[in-house]
Amino acid sequence: MKGTVVIDPITRLEGHGKVAIFLDERGNVERAYFQVPELRGFETFAVGRPAEDMPQITSRICGVCPTAHHMASTKALDALYQVDPPSAAKKIRELVYSTFFVEDHALHFYFLGGPDFVVGPQASKAERNILGVLGKVGLEVGKEVIGLRRQMRELITRVAGKVIHPVLGLPGGVAKKLTQEDVAAFQEGARHAVEFAKFSLKLFADVVLANRAYVDWVTSEAYAHRTYYMGLVDEKGRVNFYDGQLRVVDPEGNELCRFAASEYLTHIGEHVEPWSYIKFCYLRDVGWKGFVDGKDSGVYAVAPLARLNAATGMATPAAQEEYERFYTTLGGKPVHYTLANHWARLIELLYAAERMAELAADPEILDPKVRVLPTAVPQEGVGVVEAPRGTLIHHYRTDARGMITAANLIVATQNNAARIAMSVDKAAKALIKNGQVDDGLLNMVEMAFRAYDPCHGCATHALPGTMPLVVRLYGPQGEVLGELRR
Amino acid sequence: MASSGANPKVLVLALGNELLADDGVALLAARELAGRVAEGVEVRESAQHGMALLEELLGFRAAVILDAVCTGRKPAGRVHRFTLQELAPALAPSPHWAGLPEVVAYARAAQLPFPEEVVILAVEAVDLGTVGGAPTPAVRAAIPKLVRATLVELSRLTARRGP
Repeated sequence: MKGTVVIDPITRLEGHGKVAIFLDERGNVERAYFQVPELRGFETFAVGRPAEDMPQITSRICGVCPTAHHMASTKALDALYQVDPPSAAKKIRELVYSTFFVEDHALHFYFLGGPDFVVGPQASKAERNILGVLGKVGLEVGKEVIGLRRQMRELITRVAGKVIHPVLGLPGGVAKKLTQEDVAAFQEGARHAVEFAKFSLKLFADVVLANRAYVDWVTSEAYAHRTYYMGLVDEKGRVNFYDGQLRVVDPEGNELCRFAASEYLTHIGEHVEPWSYIKFCYLRDVGWKGFVDGKDSGVYAVAPLARLNAATGMATPAAQEEYERFYTTLGGKPVHYTLANHWARLIELLYAAERMAELAADPEILDPKVRVLPTAVPQEGVGVVEAPRGTLIHHYRTDARGMITAANLIVATQNNAARIAMSVDKAAKALIKNGQVDDGLLNMVEMAFRAYDPCHGCATHALPGTMPLVVRLYGPQGEVLGELRR
Repeated sequence: MASSGANPKVLVLALGNELLADDGVALLAARELAGRVAEGVEVRESAQHGMALLEELLGFRAAVILDAVCTGRKPAGRVHRFTLQELAPALAPSPHWAGLPEVVAYARAAQLPFPEEVVILAVEAVDLGTVGGAPTPAVRAAIPKLVRATLVELSRLTARRGP
């Protein structure tokens, strides 16, 4: 038996994400694995329930992404009942959804990306946390992040009832029309969000892009993969979080296919590996060739960087400017650097904020007609949205009374699972040499998957434990040589 | 979401996900607590993760957090009691992993109005991952114990006058 390093987050969830690194006799990495557990039993749980309960039930699956599940589910119900919501209802849904994106992307950048980028990948572990971020950006910015989030959450509550369990979407529309006061509050929130997004991009430029060492990390081969990319695009091919067609581009940026969510099974296959419960999604049009880069491998990515790569641009002006700067700076499209996800996320933050402003300024959003009552007999429906962490698909089949007979969910992390596994393996191989495994190196291995912000199954977290990471070193006979905690 | 009193000073925050077997145990306890708490105590439920907890806790003088936890070191159904001092600050690699220690550290550093005292009562759980699973018998049987333990904490916390 060979040496093994396990990076194991100790949390209250059993079987949480885990990185296992196998070393050969010389202490070099033979293979690194990243395991993402899945929720068990969802399909069984859904069967026999009324389809119209799904937007409420699925929003309870995850405490991080309730709004994304709610929207994907609501859109699956539109398809199931073959009903096209009125324009105002679609705009209200997208307005709420954009607000959710602002809240989530802001949190992610400052509290997750921040420790790696604002503080720096090689800072000491005492600084490389959100307190270190606070120290660097200042107390006022720290309060501002909390303040912006509170405002966005209040806006969502105003229209969707509850942030954590929204009750907005119904098949054929939404539960509530907007008032003049609602619109004014969203306009105010959007102004704040746009200002915040621009500030964050400036911070990124000042702290990260102006620092040669950080840029070298972002563009390092250790964090690059030449894969396909997938994302929702509008009729002009621009990024859209709420609706459109799924577009896939190859590693050179050429379009491979563009399809409606209802055709996802034709294009997306699921590969099973013995070492993981998760099914690895791949492109059927290309085929599964293993965990490898390149045009002949069906591995693809989703999430911010993939969305930017899969689109032709952004649909709002300031975000489009940033989009162009992104590709000019990083050497043209597509960008294959995984760590560029953090920058892409900020460009999306600005887009979400600008889109909020556009929708809140659209007089049609006040139209009182916000629902078309479904009359068709339900049979099958697929709904898709871009969740902050990537493409999210809900697929239901029902009997004629609308009771679920089969359900399938593809969540963002499943789409990304193969590329995440490749990223962890590649970073481990590049950074761990001759048995040298220290805290700084492990942080850099973790950075490879943190950029994707993978889901690890969903529940509440008050007590992740006092040590999210435990590293165990095993000798050739499987004996524990030592344990590192952080 | 039961509440009582116009100016709540002490929060009972029940965390969990009813869809995930034992993960809902704190929510079930919170519903039994509703109507049994003194004036000035608010009972809330949340399925949220780390940093969102911050927003729930701000503005309260003290808080009792109810939760489920899998330590594997105690028999199922045992009620653990932790204080903030026992939780060392943690580095969370994802918002999915951010927890109370980070929330507290952030609130203190950013000088936000965070409760002076936070007690965590967590039931040792068996299954936190099966969608639609019912709570396991030992964990379900712990609900009255968790309710009593909460009331004991509350009587202590509300007896002490605030500033």
